[in-house]
Amino acid sequence: MIERIKNLISGSSKMDGYKIIENKITASELFFVKKGLDMYRAKDVHNFNITIYKNFEEENVEYTGSSSAVIHPTMSDEEVLSVIEEAAFAASFIKNKYYPLVGPSDIVQPEIISKFSSKPLNEWLPTLTDALYNSDICDNGRINSSEIFLNKVYTRIVNSKGIDVSFTTYKGEIEFITNWKEDAEEIELYKNINFSDMDYDLIDEKVKEMLIISKEKAVASPTPALGKYTVLLNGAPVIELLNYYLAQASAKNVYNGMSTAKLGENIQGNDVCGDLITLTLDPFMRNSTKSSPYDTDGFPVSSAKIYEKGVLNMYHGDSRHCHYLNIEPTGNISNSIIEGGTYGVADFKNDPYLEIIAFSDFQMDPLTGDFAGEIRLGWYFDGISTIPVTGGSVSGNIKKLQKSMYLSKELQKDNSFVGPKIIKLLNVSVAGIQ
Amino acid sequence: MKVSMSSFLITQKPVLKKIVNILSENYKYVSILGTDTKGKMYNVQRTGIDLSDSFWSERGFVIRVHNGVNYSEFSFNEISEESLNSIVDEIHLKMATTLESLKSASITVNPYDLIEETLIKEQFLGEVIALPSTLTSKEKIEKMCFIKDTALSLSELIVDFRVAYHEVHVSKIFISNKKELEQSYIWSEGYLVSIVRRDGNTKYAHSSFSGLKAVELLDEMTSNIEKAVDTSIKLLDAKSITPGEYEVICSPEISGLIAHEAFGHGVEMDMFVKKRAKALEYLGKSVASELVTMHDGATSANNMSSYLFDDEGVLGTDTIVIEKGILKTGISDILSALKLGTKPTGNGKRQSFERKAYARMTNTFFTAGKDTLEDMIASIKFGYLLDGTMSGMEDPKNWGIQCMILKGMEIKDGKLTGEIVSPVIMTGYVPDVLESISMLSQTVELSGSGACGKGYKEFVKVSDGGPYIKAKVRLG
Repeated sequence: MIERIKNLISGSSKMDGYKIIENKITASELFFVKKGLDMYRAKDVHNFNITIYKNFEEENVEYTGSSSAVIHPTMSDEEVLSVIEEAAFAASFIKNKYYPLVGPSDIVQPEIISKFSSKPLNEWLPTLTDALYNSDICDNGRINSSEIFLNKVYTRIVNSKGIDVSFTTYKGEIEFITNWKEDAEEIELYKNINFSDMDYDLIDEKVKEMLIISKEKAVASPTPALGKYTVLLNGAPVIELLNYYLAQASAKNVYNGMSTAKLGENIQGNDVCGDLITLTLDPFMRNSTKSSPYDTDGFPVSSAKIYEKGVLNMYHGDSRHCHYLNIEPTGNISNSIIEGGTYGVADFKNDPYLEIIAFSDFQMDPLTGDFAGEIRLGWYFDGISTIPVTGGSVSGNIKKLQKSMYLSKELQKDNSFVGPKIIKLLNVSVAGIQ
Repeated sequence: MKVSMSSFLITQKPVLKKIVNILSENYKYVSILGTDTKGKMYNVQRTGIDLSDSFWSERGFVIRVHNGVNYSEFSFNEISEESLNSIVDEIHLKMATTLESLKSASITVNPYDLIEETLIKEQFLGEVIALPSTLTSKEKIEKMCFIKDTALSLSELIVDFRVAYHEVHVSKIFISNKKELEQSYIWSEGYLVSIVRRDGNTKYAHSSFSGLKAVELLDEMTSNIEKAVDTSIKLLDAKSITPGEYEVICSPEISGLIAHEAFGHGVEMDMFVKKRAKALEYLGKSVASELVTMHDGATSANNMSSYLFDDEGVLGTDTIVIEKGILKTGISDILSALKLGTKPTGNGKRQSFERKAYARMTNTFFTAGKDTLEDMIASIKFGYLLDGTMSGMEDPKNWGIQCMILKGMEIKDGKLTGEIVSPVIMTGYVPDVLESISMLSQTVELSGSGACGKGYKEFVKVSDGGPYIKAKVRLG
């Protein structure tokens, strides 16, 4: 099909370049209610995305217009040609500042390694199911329902400059709901695990962890109205919060004026009394669904240190936006590693705190720095005793709190993120319900 | 103007019927949903323009069969007379082998009854004032650039002004032994996003536009430029809210967010099957103020999720979920209805042909009341008028609610003071929020920009709304 598209493109003289991304996805999916299989699904789809580029000049300004479109494998030649011509027409008046297309490279990139490549996807389903339900053996709590997805994704990227790279990745996803019932009403919690390699213990541990915290939520008291309080964010919210720093260092955001972060300056400001951010992008992180040897332009990616002790070392981004900023491109990389801080979790817990382990939906706005979320489960320590709490919300702004932000020594690994397990923030607004 | 059905799907109909016939020799229930959705996303901002196909664009098929115990599905997008055998083999051989291997691993399979169907053959073609092809892509972008440039000229505080326009032409076909359904309609959505900065403080405000419309939406957007800019500039002076419980008036957009998050997700009846919904215990009981009536359904309104049939071939309906404060029923996909012994409501929706169908909302809204907005504001001693949806999250099991809201406009002694708080997070226990509703305005407004997820995935188009409502909620 790629050759057919290339031939049809070559018949059109209305463009200066093209890119074709081919994706072939096969998938096996299981849907459970309790431990019973409710549905089995399989998928076999094949898609192509083309981008047509056109260089032009107006009033002494050079532009590279581009337009993208999807090509379905069932399209006739006439349909494909029509898509190409429409995209070429649009590219001829889209005024984006000139940038060169990515050219081929001699760099030989390593493959993304996964045990899932050793046998057909559907043969992994019993193992994944066993890992998921292995620890579902409690009397008062259980997995309510779950969904297992295993995708094999073949990607090929071809462009008019001679790039022709291909690679295969695996994307696993397990979503499960846990219930627990003590004396009060039954509660539930939600968990989503993403992975690219078979790791039985990782899945089993996540289930055990969710059953334990479900039990805590079942006996949780309403969160007190604490006003401004020391808050410990635990697990997934840490990743969402620290995403702010990645967004601030994005070449695209800097070019668009969404970020004012400057190279060589400390992103956290001066007189920081907490921990400083050291952040590296790693395109080959093990067991990450976002690992890839090339970005979507076919640019070969490699590890890049973005922040060193709070200081912005380099911007990250695709070739186009890095060209605009006149810097070397890193390519788009979605795995990040953030170093731990000076203190351990035990140190964080010497003084009163509210530790939040599950939110309804913790949200960080990378543009404004505002964050907030409803508390589904936390632990409140008033200096004497610790109790599980639920309800109410926390909110704040990272720009106002980052000088006294402490990162735990202990690290967590969650799909595309390796970094502190817990973050301690001072003077966070807590809206309690008691 | 009438929307036209996908010629691709029409030409594939004989092949689809052949697949159904072949598979029906071995399976007691067989259906195929075919989709051909075309769409374009236009984005204009200060530093550039982007034009690409919509992420809702798709062309493919999903086969569902009753495998003797329950249902299995296969999604694919390559089809021809020649490839019929390999599609049939995928169901016959690979799926059957996989199910056997799961059973061998001691995995139990939940049984489902056969879907009973009645003979039906129908077609629905939507209408818009002006088809997407009325304007070329160049003309659309010129209109959008005009909006952007007009906005940028209004204030030096504007860092960027983004204009997004998204048009989607949906075509679907559903074939089974007894059903032959076709539908085609167009929806569009647009956004104006004004981003401002002063002394390192960055804020933004967005206005959204949507409907079963096409390029006429661009004119609606043009008339709202100043409002988007003004709102963003006012946010620069917004304060943080003091956490606490307040009397509030929710704009129709926020009313819709509450209807959607508070009760919409909570009455999706696949949640009843999983015993994940507290609503199951409250059927026939009071869950809201007697002023509250709430609908959901493909035919309950003419908005983003109005269609003839859902993604399981069930005709759309109008469901009264809450009537005068009493929870009446839920909304259902066909498999949940089979399990629960209820009638499906035409709410089985898929993100795409590649994904499973779930019970999902369509057009969800509170009905109107008898109050005026002026009287509602005058009735508040100290509180806020809430407006601007950012996001929401459901909690059907324990009836928590989280709504992220752009701004609260302060009301003191029955008058708006001009003071603003932003952002605002509304949380609470759903029945408490709905029981506290004491006034509703006289006009219902629905909107349907963005997408609704189930948990963090399975995004579908919906609309929601209501009148202005007065309630008591916890803000932080």
